Amino acid sequence: MTAAAPEPKANMGQSVPRYDAAAKVTGRATYASDMPLDNPAYAFLVTSAIAKGRIDRFDLDDAGRVRGVIDIVTHENAPKLKESKLFSNGGYAGTTIQPLKSAEIAHDGQIIAVVIAESYEAAREAANRVKVSYTAAAPSASFDSRGTTMAAAKGQNAQFKEDPAVGDFAKAFETAEVKLTASYDTPTQHHNPMELFTTSCVWMGDNLVIYEGSQYVYGLKNGVAEQLGIEADKVRVVNPYVGGGFGSRGSMTPRTAIIAGIAKRLNRPIKLVPTRDQGFTIATYRAETRHEIKLGANRDGRLVALRHEGAEVSSRPDAYCVGGTKTTTRLYACPNVDSLVSIVRADRNTPGFMRSPPEVPYLFALESALDELAVKLDMDPIELRRINDTTNEPINGKPYTSRSLMACFDEAAKAFGWAQRSPQPKSMSDGDWLIGYGCAATCYPTQMAPSAARVRLQRDGRTRVEIAGHEIGTGAYTVIAQTAAERLGVPLEKVAVFIGDSDLPPAPVAGGSNSTASTCSAVMMVCDQIRQRLFKAVMPSDSLADKAKETVGISPAPSTQAARGDRSLDLDKAFDALGVGVVEEYGEWKPEGAPLDSFQAMHTGHVRLIGGHAMKDQIAYAFGAEFVEVRVNRFTHEIRCPRLVGAFAAGRIMNPRTARSQLMGGLIWGMSSALLEATEIDERNARYVNDNLADYLVPVNADVPGVEVIMLSEQDDHINLVGAKGLGELANVGTNAAVCNALYHATGQRIRKLPVRLENIEI
Amino acid sequence: MSDKSSSRPSGFDRRAFMAGAAGSVLVPMTARAAAQDANAPLAQDPSLPVEVTLRVNGEDKHLSLDARTTVLDALREHLKLTGSKKGCDHGQCGACTVLIDDRRVVSCLTLAVAAEGQEITTIEGLATDDRLHPMQQAFIDNDAFQCGYCTPGQIMSAVACVKEGHAGNEADIREYMSGNICRCAAYPNIVAAVKQAAPEIMKG
Repeated sequence: MTAAAPEPKANMGQSVPRYDAAAKVTGRATYASDMPLDNPAYAFLVTSAIAKGRIDRFDLDDAGRVRGVIDIVTHENAPKLKESKLFSNGGYAGTTIQPLKSAEIAHDGQIIAVVIAESYEAAREAANRVKVSYTAAAPSASFDSRGTTMAAAKGQNAQFKEDPAVGDFAKAFETAEVKLTASYDTPTQHHNPMELFTTSCVWMGDNLVIYEGSQYVYGLKNGVAEQLGIEADKVRVVNPYVGGGFGSRGSMTPRTAIIAGIAKRLNRPIKLVPTRDQGFTIATYRAETRHEIKLGANRDGRLVALRHEGAEVSSRPDAYCVGGTKTTTRLYACPNVDSLVSIVRADRNTPGFMRSPPEVPYLFALESALDELAVKLDMDPIELRRINDTTNEPINGKPYTSRSLMACFDEAAKAFGWAQRSPQPKSMSDGDWLIGYGCAATCYPTQMAPSAARVRLQRDGRTRVEIAGHEIGTGAYTVIAQTAAERLGVPLEKVAVFIGDSDLPPAPVAGGSNSTASTCSAVMMVCDQIRQRLFKAVMPSDSLADKAKETVGISPAPSTQAARGDRSLDLDKAFDALGVGVVEEYGEWKPEGAPLDSFQAMHTGHVRLIGGHAMKDQIAYAFGAEFVEVRVNRFTHEIRCPRLVGAFAAGRIMNPRTARSQLMGGLIWGMSSALLEATEIDERNARYVNDNLADYLVPVNADVPGVEVIMLSEQDDHINLVGAKGLGELANVGTNAAVCNALYHATGQRIRKLPVRLENIEI
Repeated sequence: MSDKSSSRPSGFDRRAFMAGAAGSVLVPMTARAAAQDANAPLAQDPSLPVEVTLRVNGEDKHLSLDARTTVLDALREHLKLTGSKKGCDHGQCGACTVLIDDRRVVSCLTLAVAAEGQEITTIEGLATDDRLHPMQQAFIDNDAFQCGYCTPGQIMSAVACVKEGHAGNEADIREYMSGNICRCAAYPNIVAAVKQAAPEIMKG
């Protein structure tokens, strides 16, 4: 066992290596742009140099003369596409801004032309030779720009139904013994998955195959079909491997239908590989947010009043928002709560989901404010959280299905050595380095969605699992294979998993950390259907169970419901009795409380996520506690982060190895969000400035010396069949605040705006 | 209201410069290509095909390429060796790392015509007779990847890192592996993998 493969504790699966490991280390894993195409033409995008206005005319003479150019597509000759609604409004799209539809420009970097050529090099050259005349208007870039509009999210975003509130906040705050009011800012961030936003489209007659890294093949398939005005059954999306998602590939972008339309017209496979900088404007991003937190507490630390006001930037046409108050108003016991979320419209591309969309900005504000309150109360920040820990959320009084928050704090504090912290700011140092210890809570809603699966078992135990899930690096192949092997009692190496293809039974979007819970529940259910058929064949009634124990072939597997199926049987006998060559079952699983139209929606590429605070009688979250050591050089103000320690509890851990890796990556993401990542915006031109991987800072190996992940044993029988809580978006939530809290401890300076860089340190 | 006459194709300046640079270094390369075939036209226009022979994973590959084709695009688009990945095309991310004469190189910033006569090793050429290279096995053992997209580049870089003598301790490994971005942030596991494989690789 290496550190990467922790020994499983109670209610954890085996730390087996990844199913796709060999393919990934040999270069055999085929991502979308690796798919072989027969005589493809290459597409290169031309994007807008202005953020607002219109195109007066194109001069394409120069571009058209480039040898190998096949076509130049602009709004004047683009394929006609139908509009698609926003993902959050029941559609498929991440933006309703449809490029190449008219001369109008809605944001900088909007696609304005597509050059098609015989080679990538010719397409690129011709794209560089496209000349455009614009009539430009002054754009509004962000919060402080002239010309933006601001309005409450409620009423304009269909998914943001209420501003959570309870009790009488104003009165309670007024009379509170200790009060805190503080404002916090978070920046624009871009996902920057390693795989570019590529698309290849191949038509075979009326049938379209799309190779594109997607976190939702059913959504993309149905969305593109809708835009092209063809039957969804004619469209197939294939992506057995996805080079990172982080939310950027959850909803359809306009590029796909455009490329599909051009490929149809030219009757030729088209391959688009956009550049890294184009990725900043042709997909989504995490929008900048602003927060004001008001906390009122008794001297003993008990919260009596909490108000969270958040504002988020979106595009002109789309009311996208993340509305994290649904979480921050429910995290701690507090009888008087108020909240308000607003949306600011600017001349920007539409933002979208980025890893833990609501929790990252909103918990940064709340968990920073709690640390500030602890200082005011002269109280240990862990103890402040313990005093306000709760088994029921305060808005509707619903019980948490399970909540191991304080157990996580205790485990992580011990591993980190919190007891060695001297509470006074600037009281710990090592030579020129000021040392700070900080901590924060982390949480993420436990979500599930309906999912189908097909499983085929052969007489020799070979098993084939088919489900249109997504391998974005989470370990989807692996945990699905483990689930099937465990439930059917067949060796893991006999299980073949097929995912990443919209011709397979539908699975939900790989977003909201629902995938493992949803897909594994479906696979488990279908495997149980197979078991039932087999056992019925050899045992007319349960009374014959003992006889079946005599032979082995399919054995009981460890699972959350270990009591079920304590029997084994001989596969040969069962297959003979059934008189079949293979046993195949298809099934559709849905979480408790899923709406009636769930299964129908699943097939048409709509997700009905259940969970979090939106469950009927309960509330389900995964929790964790994160501890950070920062070091600030007292002369240069350089900030280093030598240690990150996180303890997490997330129900059943399907595979401690893949889970640990996700949590570790999450902690590093959180550190990066706190100290490195920001997309800088040119206020005058509403343009992203640092749109490349040298200037948009992401961590490299030297930035990450020490990360420790602790997984607590937790059992939760109220959430889904396998009992798993999603954890892919759990670890990067609390880190922002933990880092800033540590920086306060190191320097005595409270920094409320992310990211924190050396120029922000004033000591 | 202002009138602005330009488009914003990606990285316009750099690309224009790149194309120019390609043109200037192209002359001797083209001459060499032409010397092999007296009838081949002297390519003044970079889009005219140039005959190039690349030695990849021990095999000679004859290609007719646009002179601006990078090693990365030659591998991916012309030789169907798609293990090397395009993550930025600017030499910023390391996903395209290959070994050229045992030196780690970002293949997106290396023109194919400039790699003639050199030994190119890609991720596909690392395993021998279906036996994984120790670095590949170490990446599996230490779960040193998640999405896997940066992995071929990480592994090629890691092999070179060890051979350069930069894998003596964890701090060195972190420093010398910092040219390869892993957005999933498998960094601690990558360090563990390099540490595990280093002795075996040095042994030979």
